[in-house]
Amino acid sequence: MRSVHLTGFGLHTTLARGLDANVAALNRAPLPPREVPVRFGDEERLIPYYVLAEAPLEQLEERFERALHGVIDEALQRARLSRAERRAMGFFLGSSCGEMPVLETQYRRDLQISRDALPMLQTSSMGNLANRLRAPFGIQGPDYSYYTACTASANALLAATNMIRAGRLQHAIVVGVEMFNVMTALGFSGLQLITRDIMRPFDRRRGGLVPGEGCGAVVLSAEPSDSAWTMLGGANLCDTHSISATNPDGSAVADVIRRALQLCGLGAEDIAALKAHGTASLLNDEGEVAGLRRVFAEIPPVCALKPYIGHTFGACGIVELALFCTSIDRGVLPATPGICAGDSDLEITLNQAPRPQGPGKFMMNYFGFGGSNTSLIVSRSKTASFNSPSPARAGEG
Amino acid sequence: MSPLFINASSDFVAVNDGDAAALDLKPLVAEAVGPVRRIARFIQLALIGAGRCGKQVELPKDAAVYLGSGRADLEITVEVMQALWRDGQAPKPLSFINTVSNAACFYVAQGLKLTGRSSFVCNRYFAFESMLQLAALDLECGFVGAALVGTVDVVVPPIAGHRVRLGLAADRPVADASHWLFLDTQPSATTLGRLLAAEHCVDEAALRAWLARQSLERSWHLATGQFMSAEEASEWQRELGMQPFDYRAGRAYYDSQSGAAIGEYLRREQGTLLHLNRDPGGRYSVMVVEKEGMAAQKDAMGVEKAAT
Repeated sequence: MRSVHLTGFGLHTTLARGLDANVAALNRAPLPPREVPVRFGDEERLIPYYVLAEAPLEQLEERFERALHGVIDEALQRARLSRAERRAMGFFLGSSCGEMPVLETQYRRDLQISRDALPMLQTSSMGNLANRLRAPFGIQGPDYSYYTACTASANALLAATNMIRAGRLQHAIVVGVEMFNVMTALGFSGLQLITRDIMRPFDRRRGGLVPGEGCGAVVLSAEPSDSAWTMLGGANLCDTHSISATNPDGSAVADVIRRALQLCGLGAEDIAALKAHGTASLLNDEGEVAGLRRVFAEIPPVCALKPYIGHTFGACGIVELALFCTSIDRGVLPATPGICAGDSDLEITLNQAPRPQGPGKFMMNYFGFGGSNTSLIVSRSKTASFNSPSPARAGEG
Repeated sequence: MSPLFINASSDFVAVNDGDAAALDLKPLVAEAVGPVRRIARFIQLALIGAGRCGKQVELPKDAAVYLGSGRADLEITVEVMQALWRDGQAPKPLSFINTVSNAACFYVAQGLKLTGRSSFVCNRYFAFESMLQLAALDLECGFVGAALVGTVDVVVPPIAGHRVRLGLAADRPVADASHWLFLDTQPSATTLGRLLAAEHCVDEAALRAWLARQSLERSWHLATGQFMSAEEASEWQRELGMQPFDYRAGRAYYDSQSGAAIGEYLRREQGTLLHLNRDPGGRYSVMVVEKEGMAAQKDAMGVEKAAT
């Protein structure tokens, strides 16, 4: 089996546009979300939301495409692939919302003309987005659009890793996307899962999640590069306890973590630190910690990234991986000062101050609606970090 | 790739060609996996197809579920969007949760008591082929031990609007569909055939290079997918000189017709099937399946009884 290298990231979140600016923003304490007015029928609700930086919530169709093209372009430039390499690479997408911001805009426009208008007449396939995104970048490899809720881009990453490892692909790009849309805002509001405060995973004061916009992309390659990161693999399993919550006894979480470790040939003691899913909801956090306790005799240092960027749902697999890896590249494990600082009812503590962190093997956990649980393991060697963006080797191939 | 054994197969297609009440799927769901309440048609179709495979063979608890679709669960998404934007109603909690397309995977896993990997993947033109590629790879790598692989397409009333949405002529029949295979690395008493290849080719040159590496025989059957033009299909037929296998004649429209090819072949023919499909961007997908002598001797009626 071949190694799979992470050779380029692109990132756009509420913190900033661009990978470096995002990681720099982790140096300050998490900021509270803004409240976005959401109008439907005769009603207006203010929904807390982390909105993309430098991208006002207007002209949603163009905004959607622009944000995605930006992160794909950034990742491809960092990976420095030739035109021929791009052409054959696989395209993997992971999302919860898909094109919903575009679909909502189109339908609202059509309803102004006729109340009998039907939704999704112009775009009716959740596979169209992948085709539309890959074409301008000359990508002709296979495309797979994962829609497995909050594990979507993590699962896409896992599939891309396996394809490269088995020799089916030489390169792949995995894209995660979650953008503001009214259905998601009202859906989570209706489920009473949203807090108006900063997300506080595993904290005694945790009150729920804040939806967050996020677009991320990562290029995977079979060829060694300057990158110090490799994808070791991971696992995805289905938890049939409930369609909307992880089993709070932690058994399903433990199963997927154990399976990930087994498939990567590792023991729990090999994990230097982990990124928790941490949705700051009562039951899911309980289940996640219970799962960690079942596997780890001593839980390694834990960080959570949602307090900074909100829950980017299907995009969080890539978005949080990008933030985590780049932060470790800077030599620190991200911290969430004041959140889950030591008095958690779950008896777990999140990393409180930027902590020096060297090379090692790291676990990234993701759990989602539909019983989808995913655990990934990445490794950082001692050398180098990610390339700066630069033009592709356009003359080659 | 290493050959994989097709140990069960099910195909369900229900023409939905008018706005009269659609076929009631509840009894079929109950027959396949037991009664399941408060689920929409997309999930019902998944349960019928996957459940019928589960009736043919004992599924290991850790079997993975790979569900694909050309457009995902349009019905629930359309319903929630209409309620929200036309009628001014916020999404109901269960409806909102079911808009996550992997809800169908959850119900399949729950209904069949599976805890393995679970994936929902959308691909506009190669829905079934894509799922076969992903499942075959995971099986080959030992990432999963056995896999239920399927596609589901759902008709969303009004039918006239559905045809517009799919870009179809006003009189084109449309159908709900659910096609499934159960793949295993080991044969069983129920083995129907073997999957020999599930490949993606970036263009025609790549397809030709792949074909050149195979030991093709004129005794094989050739089938072509719904997104390849009739002219190109004829050219391949002429060039490869294989016997034609037509599983699409008279079939009402749905996006994942390729999902019917393997099941139909295993029921109707003997030998080896090469299936080619092409998307509008010039990419190709390939499936090769073999109905072996041993498998051919098995009573195909057993499968037909379970399939619609």
